Amino acid sequence: MNRISDRILVGLTWLSGIGMCMVVTGLLLFLIFHGIRQITPALFFGDTPWLKAITGQSPVFDGIWPAVTGTVLLVFLSSAIAVPVGVASGIYLAAYASSRQRAFWGSMVDLLSGTPSIVMGLFGFTMILFLRKTVNPTAQTGLFLAAVCIALLILPYLIRTSQAAIAGISTHLRLIGPAAGFSKWQNIRHVLLPLASRGILSGIILAVGRASEDTAVILLTGVVAQTGIPRNIWDKFEALPFRIYYLAAEHRNATELEQGFAVALVLLFLTGFLFAIAFLLNRYAENRWRIRRYQ
Amino acid sequence: MEPAVVISNLEVLFFGKAVLKDIHLSLWPGRITVLVGPSGSGKSTLLRAINRLNEFFPDCQTRGSVSLHLQNQYHGDIYQNTIPLSDLRRRVGMVFQTPAVLPFSIEKNITMPLQVTVGLTGSALTERMTRALQEVALWDEVKDRLKSSANTLSGGQQQRLCLARVLALEPQILLLDEPTASLDYKSAARIESLLLNLKERYTILAISHSLSQTRRIADRVCVLRQGQLIQEMDRNDMADIRTFQGLMEAAF
Amino acid sequence: MLKINPPEKWIETGLFMAAVVSAVAIVSILLLLIYFCLPLFSGNGLSRVFSWRWQPIDGQFGILPMCAGSLALSILALGIAFPPAIGICTLVHVLSRGVFARIVLILTHFMTGIPTVIYGFVSVFVLVPRIRSLSEAGTGFSLLTAAITLAILILPTIVLVCYTRLEQLDPVLRLASAAMGFTPIQQMRHVLMPAATKGVAAAAILGLGRAMGDTLISLMLAGNAAQFPGSLFTSFRSLTAHIGLVVATDSQSLAYQSVFAAGLVLFLLVAALNLIIRKTDNRITANAFLRVQETRHEQNF
Ligand SMILES: Nc1ncnc2c1ncn2[C@@H]1O[C@H](COP(=O)(O)OP(=O)(O)OP(=O)(O)O)[C@@H](O)[C@H]1O
Ligand SMILES: [Mg+2]
Repeated sequence: MNRISDRILVGLTWLSGIGMCMVVTGLLLFLIFHGIRQITPALFFGDTPWLKAITGQSPVFDGIWPAVTGTVLLVFLSSAIAVPVGVASGIYLAAYASSRQRAFWGSMVDLLSGTPSIVMGLFGFTMILFLRKTVNPTAQTGLFLAAVCIALLILPYLIRTSQAAIAGISTHLRLIGPAAGFSKWQNIRHVLLPLASRGILSGIILAVGRASEDTAVILLTGVVAQTGIPRNIWDKFEALPFRIYYLAAEHRNATELEQGFAVALVLLFLTGFLFAIAFLLNRYAENRWRIRRYQ
Repeated sequence: MEPAVVISNLEVLFFGKAVLKDIHLSLWPGRITVLVGPSGSGKSTLLRAINRLNEFFPDCQTRGSVSLHLQNQYHGDIYQNTIPLSDLRRRVGMVFQTPAVLPFSIEKNITMPLQVTVGLTGSALTERMTRALQEVALWDEVKDRLKSSANTLSGGQQQRLCLARVLALEPQILLLDEPTASLDYKSAARIESLLLNLKERYTILAISHSLSQTRRIADRVCVLRQGQLIQEMDRNDMADIRTFQGLMEAAF
Repeated sequence: MLKINPPEKWIETGLFMAAVVSAVAIVSILLLLIYFCLPLFSGNGLSRVFSWRWQPIDGQFGILPMCAGSLALSILALGIAFPPAIGICTLVHVLSRGVFARIVLILTHFMTGIPTVIYGFVSVFVLVPRIRSLSEAGTGFSLLTAAITLAILILPTIVLVCYTRLEQLDPVLRLASAAMGFTPIQQMRHVLMPAATKGVAAAAILGLGRAMGDTLISLMLAGNAAQFPGSLFTSFRSLTAHIGLVVATDSQSLAYQSVFAAGLVLFLLVAALNLIIRKTDNRITANAFLRVQETRHEQNF
């Protein structure tokens, strides 16, 4: 009887594995089938000549160029805020904090990483309301606010990956610096950070991927469907994931719908590419430090 | 009498590097064969070749043959897939170098494998468990705390629990990888006398690092060095402690 | 030549300040939400927001249907995702360690990298029509649609956390059970899973938290009618979607306050889940997380 139930279980596990593979490939094929033909210069720039569009001489109306710029700016700004703070914080947790401090600050990081992104967006929105009530009655949501909120969203990844990368270095390697008379910071700067750089880098890349695909935060902090390229960092902006969301709900005709598939494909290429780099970096880092235990 | 295990021309490679080569060895029922040799010489690997446990490790290759001759039941080369893997491993019991208790209660450590692999239930189950625990002289120490976690036992008790677990499954061949390594002198002596009692019923292959222990329990000693069997000794060679030590020193 | 290094103490202080940022952020999120919820505690604000009716035109601002919606959605999604997640773990951990397992693992990792909006987008065109034809009445934007999509979204998280925990088990456990003649599936059922129960439970709760915090799937697929999710095929609204919808459209003050209440409820729910995870399996944050969070462990979108 046990044998039979075991057999059934084995069958079910294979079923779930194969099912998952089918879902993923199905999703990819579906998007490629519907979207690949639309990936042309016109998708990005509409009727505007691409050179003029890129240099910002003339606005783009039909294309997704403003959304691409919006997403790039957003990712750039939020990483500029989050990466230094995240890495520094990771270093502190891995190399300076006592185990009790590590547990305490670590639990804060976990809380932050558990916070739903819509709550992060709401936080940004309430900050604007707060500013309106207090110092600046004309405060508006915009690119900078969105970048700050996204930075908070990706901060935990950065902290945890840098922390893990540094903590994963073997004791043997850790002691090389001090043995050579390095001070604590010198050891971190010249031995630990170089050794941990791949792990940290893969964390940064994943954070970038995360920043580029989040929609809930920007939904509340200044993304709009049509605005062109933002003029300054306080301006409203467009973004790729929001464009997809918007097109799913509001497409007026078949062409717009096809554009939706193409944009989805573009975003998937982008995040997939980032993901692949991070994965490879990480694999390398892991193999380097892996210690297997055998009987 | 025919041997229960016949290993011929066995070669085991990890990552393309031969860890055991050219091994020929036969084990007879009713006798304890002790395997000695320097650390890293391949003793554990040889043991694991007999229940095909090496296959767990990545990039391990095994060549040659290991034939089992179990009374009226099975006869053949285990590497030819003639015996289902789980049957093979149930008939060839193994105790590891370090105690490997399951993170469950003491009782469950013994009963669960019986339920799963043999299908025992009810009073037969408790009976077997009690008998096995008594055999390894652990019963008196744990009979009041059968439900507490096996991890709370001391190292030596854990090792005896592992032995009991294997005995409860009633194998025909016993592979013991330094079964007394984590035991104090007294419990080691108890395990030794237990082994001497058990040897009537089983074919035993044990690893030992202690020459005096080897002398006490072994009917035959095989010396392994750098993956090769370089010497065999029987009781006669061990009778005189001086000659035995001389032989061993020459071997190492 | 002598190189002057910045004083060690300053560096340590600087790094410490960076570590404090997350704590400051989380505390200010909580305080700001509470601050904007304060007006609710005067008059009958509280009872008006925690009621079962959302009809802004009649001055009804109850968010309880959305709470029910969030709970129903996340529990259902977990229920759909959990069994196959365990199946996949079993497959890659004990049953197939070859090429297929590797493909499955890489795909699982890859799935965590697919933007949520894409799952939602594809689901609108693939799943919605099928559910619509299945239910006869209704638009296809329903609890079931959202739950299935969300299940696909949280599946890789659960798989990866469980898998990491299984890999962390002492390899001797597998070896010992195999040596007793356990088949791979028996090893999993009787030894490995029981030994990793806490980790598996924590993974499930983690998936639940992610499902609860997700906005886009329910926004795109649930239909967003502010009503109690009475059946699998009814349209409903989650707390997260509610926040997004109201902030984008309404501007009456009590409507806003209901949004802050929704935000606070959501925050507290997820924080409570976080606490439960810590209590269940304190290693999960220390170890398992580290490897999985690189795959967006708790990302909520
Ligand atoms: N899983 C494995 N992967 C790679 N090499 C292995 C593996 N297991 C054992 N080896 C190698 O095989 C050789 C023999 O190992 P084995 O464990 O059999 O030695 P041993 O004689 O039991 O040593 P000890 O007395 O220390 O237990 C060693 O060089 C070891 O490094
Ligand atoms: Mg050994």
